[in-house]
Amino acid sequence: MNLPKIHSITKKLFVALVGSFLLLFLLFHMTANLFILRHDDGQWYSDFCHFMGTNWVVKIFEIVLLGVIALHILLTVWLAITNRLARPVRYHQASRSKTHPGSKLMMWTGVLIFACICIHFYDFYFVKVGVVKGEYMVKVENLSKLDAQAMEDEAVSDVLYRAFNEGNISEDGKWIRHINYEERTILKERAPESDPEPDFYYLTREKFSHLHIVIGYLVFFLILFFHLMHAFPSVFQTLGLNNYKYNPIIEALGKIYTWIIVLGFTAVPILVYLGL
Amino acid sequence: MKFTLHIWRQENARAKGHFETYEIDNISADCSFLEMLDQLNEKLINDHIAHPVCFDNDCREGICGMCGLYINGRPHGNDDGVTTCQLHMRHFNDGDEIWVEPWRAKAFPIIKDLVVDRTAFDKIIQAGGYISATTGGVPDANNILVPKHIADQAMDAAACIGCGACVAACKNASAMLFVGAKVSHLNLLPQGHPEAMDRVKKMVCKMDELGFGSCTNTYACEAECPKQIKRQNIARLNRQWIGQLFGRDRNE
Repeated sequence: MNLPKIHSITKKLFVALVGSFLLLFLLFHMTANLFILRHDDGQWYSDFCHFMGTNWVVKIFEIVLLGVIALHILLTVWLAITNRLARPVRYHQASRSKTHPGSKLMMWTGVLIFACICIHFYDFYFVKVGVVKGEYMVKVENLSKLDAQAMEDEAVSDVLYRAFNEGNISEDGKWIRHINYEERTILKERAPESDPEPDFYYLTREKFSHLHIVIGYLVFFLILFFHLMHAFPSVFQTLGLNNYKYNPIIEALGKIYTWIIVLGFTAVPILVYLGL
Repeated sequence: MKFTLHIWRQENARAKGHFETYEIDNISADCSFLEMLDQLNEKLINDHIAHPVCFDNDCREGICGMCGLYINGRPHGNDDGVTTCQLHMRHFNDGDEIWVEPWRAKAFPIIKDLVVDRTAFDKIIQAGGYISATTGGVPDANNILVPKHIADQAMDAAACIGCGACVAACKNASAMLFVGAKVSHLNLLPQGHPEAMDRVKKMVCKMDELGFGSCTNTYACEAECPKQIKRQNIARLNRQWIGQLFGRDRNE
């Protein structure tokens, strides 16, 4: 079977297109993360996570996002292999050409970012899926949906009794918090209408109370900084939107975008750790 | 001045190459890098040390694009906007060690020592880097109107001498700057318009077929180009490639 030939520039175009999608997603993700900094006992953030976890458009978007990340990785690895083959014998002397450091390290920063995304998935997405244990919460209004059988179930009553008894109710009275994995399993099986979902607000704040996680997070964004510094103007160059007139503007926008992303994301662990 | 030279020696395309070290003395600071190699070759011949080092050269005034050596990690050496023949020994320090390598790319196989076969560039030009219609004699001034800024951009792109430093500098051995410059200098001008999209397609397809890598926007090519061809020519090539994908016949 003859596979259709995809030319080098076309491959690059796809990388740029999916890359620009990821650039926009990062902006969206950063804005959502900033909700954690509100002193509202996670009201905004929990509502936002509930919306993201239940809306069907978001569920489709989630699949698209995973596909886009996979495509970005696949295409860049494919390009890297063909590029490597284009110079079978390497130079003895390392290149001393004047280029931006980020541009030569894209593949390596990309690999490190992928590793960090895997950790991120383990910490949050897999908790949501239920593969990894975490902290959960239940919407108070969902309790009214429970049928008589569920209400009379001793195990369900124990879970709810403990939660109310310990006062694990959010300030706005909307959420029952601090439900552990075993309790979540009981609710899922015996009272599915309660619909327990991950408590990302608590999970995030808990993670950022550990110094080593905060430092790891900052190192990740240092790597991402170099990746984005090159990625933003690269999208314009590859899509042919760069010319003598717009080049300085695109370069400046790239720097502004990167700093916004890095400062926006890193502000969360730093301020949470400092208790501000 | 005195130098220690580590020069790549390779008998032919199939032979295994290696670095050979030579000491050379009494080199004037004002002589060019190629003149220094001439003196080395005289020494190698007269003292019966080895066969002379083969290297490409022709005009020795930076316009033919024949010379091209990878010197201490930079194509054409440690000066900006010059070819190897325009690189002078005053840019080195007395007693320096100098590593000299040929252009390394799958599309540029080594013929001997520092000489590489750059026929791949000719093949790209043969694929579409021309205007097929007979354009006749030199037209009268202002007979074909070309805006000044377009003429300037076409002229800047036409300055490419096809030396291959862009390929040599690129970490992916990509020829995008070369193809971008050749496409730009023809497609920007009225005479190049009718075949513009066809030209882009044919030249890029040929470039891929010959085994050049893809551009990853590192811009080492722009940094090392002796004619200082700009990255915007690559952006224009990308733009016109998208245009031909959608069947558009626009050049700007």
